Amino acid sequence: MSQEVQRHSLGRRRTGHGTTLLLAAPVLCVVAFVTLPLLAIFLKVLPQAGLWETLREPLVTQALRLSLVTSLSSLCLAVLFGTPVAYLLARHHFRGARVVETLLDLPMVLPPTVAGIALLMAFGRRGLLGPWLQVAGLQISFSTTAVVLAQSFVCWPFYIRAAQAGFRSVDPELERVAHTLGVSSWRTFLRVTVPLAFPTLLSGGVMAWARALGEFGATIMFAGNLQGRTQTMPLAIYLALESDLPAALALSTLLILVSASVLLCMRVFLRRGVLTTYA
Amino acid sequence: MLEVILHKRLASFQLNVAFTTGQELTALFGPSGAGKSLTLRIIAGTVQPDTGRLLLDGEPLYDSAQGLNLPPQQRRLGYVPQHYALFPHLTVADNIAFGLGHAPRRVRAQRVAELLELFGMQGFERRIPRQLSGGQQQRVALARALAVQPRLLLLDEPFAALDGGLRETLRQELAQVYAHWGITVLLVTHDLADVYALGQQVLVYDGGQVIQQGTREEVFFRPSSRRVAEFVHTRNILPAVVERVEADTLWLRWQGYALAAPRQPLAPGTSVYLCIRPTQVLIVRPERLTARRRDNLLYGDIVREIMHAETHTLYLRLDSSPAAHDLEITLPSYVYHRLGLDTQKRLMAELPRQALHVIPRQDDAVAPATPPPDAPFTRLTPEAEKPYS
Repeated sequence: MSQEVQRHSLGRRRTGHGTTLLLAAPVLCVVAFVTLPLLAIFLKVLPQAGLWETLREPLVTQALRLSLVTSLSSLCLAVLFGTPVAYLLARHHFRGARVVETLLDLPMVLPPTVAGIALLMAFGRRGLLGPWLQVAGLQISFSTTAVVLAQSFVCWPFYIRAAQAGFRSVDPELERVAHTLGVSSWRTFLRVTVPLAFPTLLSGGVMAWARALGEFGATIMFAGNLQGRTQTMPLAIYLALESDLPAALALSTLLILVSASVLLCMRVFLRRGVLTTYA
Repeated sequence: MLEVILHKRLASFQLNVAFTTGQELTALFGPSGAGKSLTLRIIAGTVQPDTGRLLLDGEPLYDSAQGLNLPPQQRRLGYVPQHYALFPHLTVADNIAFGLGHAPRRVRAQRVAELLELFGMQGFERRIPRQLSGGQQQRVALARALAVQPRLLLLDEPFAALDGGLRETLRQELAQVYAHWGITVLLVTHDLADVYALGQQVLVYDGGQVIQQGTREEVFFRPSSRRVAEFVHTRNILPAVVERVEADTLWLRWQGYALAAPRQPLAPGTSVYLCIRPTQVLIVRPERLTARRRDNLLYGDIVREIMHAETHTLYLRLDSSPAAHDLEITLPSYVYHRLGLDTQKRLMAELPRQALHVIPRQDDAVAPATPPPDAPFTRLTPEAEKPYS
């Protein structure tokens, strides 16, 4: 009997091994497919002389500064406007909630160039709101503001989606109990809802920020490619690719490093602090 | 004192209740979906009723006539929901101190220490709820609610998530907390054992209404309707007919027997239910038959018996009765053995006159079909309570 069991379990282990091997192939393929291009950039960049000088060219520094300023602005706006929207959608079932949700998701699937044209048609000089904006003395298209608008348009849904899921995962009974303990709705939100939804809020924020940082299509359509004003890093890379390959490579390396370190920080932070206490 | 008049209409359910409770432990007892938890939430202020009035010690919490509805923050009630809803990201100490945000740090720490001591939870301050057992979680939830010195404590199925032995311990603890605080407690439960242990006052809920309010003894021994009798497991609910009324006796006919019950003003011919709990039926030894005056003697055979830890339940079929059994009798196991019932299956039973409770049968029209005796609550639609469960 025990022998039989043993043989049986051995047999199972062998099949288990086979399955692992079988799965290893696609895993290796995927990993290679993702890392190879990134590796290629590093291999091209590292032997390059004067990398540091390239990174200090005004084209690069201006693009970097502009990218950081605009993408972080877009993220702040996403948090500022997106959080109440997400909370409302998570907690209240009102007429038209579905419609609002679908509309908010739309920019995620829309081609960025289409988003750019749409923004141009709305806020451009000859766009829908153009005449009024002109009267108010506001020139939005082809300005830094336009960059922020373009990035916001495409990155908000990532944050709102995540925040909505995060808020929904918090038991409303916890909020009700907090209220009966005499704690105001606002304090309850800050002390119960946000801390419990924080892992999701954080990852949503990072996703949105990454999307804003990489935004290209909508920006170039709506904001143009003016160095120092609307030329963010992806745009600068595109421009440099034609004239100055080393600069393009240096910029790309920089973007990879920034993105990777943010992702890494988030994972470490979630693993260490928040997730272990909650889940 | 809490005065409650509430009306609330949901998609598939209607709540219409009115009751008053004093400074005592009141059990809201009834099947799932009867509106007990909803009542609790409305009193706590987290659900708004359609119309009605809530007065706590004379102060209105809600009054639809005046358009008054105090938010839960201003009601000063302790609310402990079914699964305690402890804040999972906060320590035990922070959970208990959650409602004390306005108080100075020193006062807060002192209050937390007091409560931890009262609930025997010293040393657990820094734990988070996930690291506590069910019983400990319940203690923390109670401590958190009591920390803000509520005027009323609302407990929703406080023992439902615990297992048997722990339940009993925590019932005792709750009784002690109640004695210590002297606070009015409203306790929702569908467990008769909770009512036995804790319900000084009982509100019997059914289908969104209070169908009986009374002391525990009243509800258990003098149920107002067949439905209540079923809820409190009266077990012997015997359909009888009034024969005649004498000076102090109501004569009833049941299964060919004439039974004497305490006098009630009922006309001869009235259909009634005769209620007697299984523990109230006496077994008479033939040699002691003449020891005193006997009421209502019945003869029959034991057709089925169930042995419990400390009691025996016997099912008695009367002579020449067509039923599977007519009476359920529960007696302590030592009595069972002393009477020799393990071998002797024929017996004489007495229904003591004072133990007989008579319910006029008018409630048949509203009472639903009799559910199977072991699952008296299955008929009710669980979805009625769903929006709030």
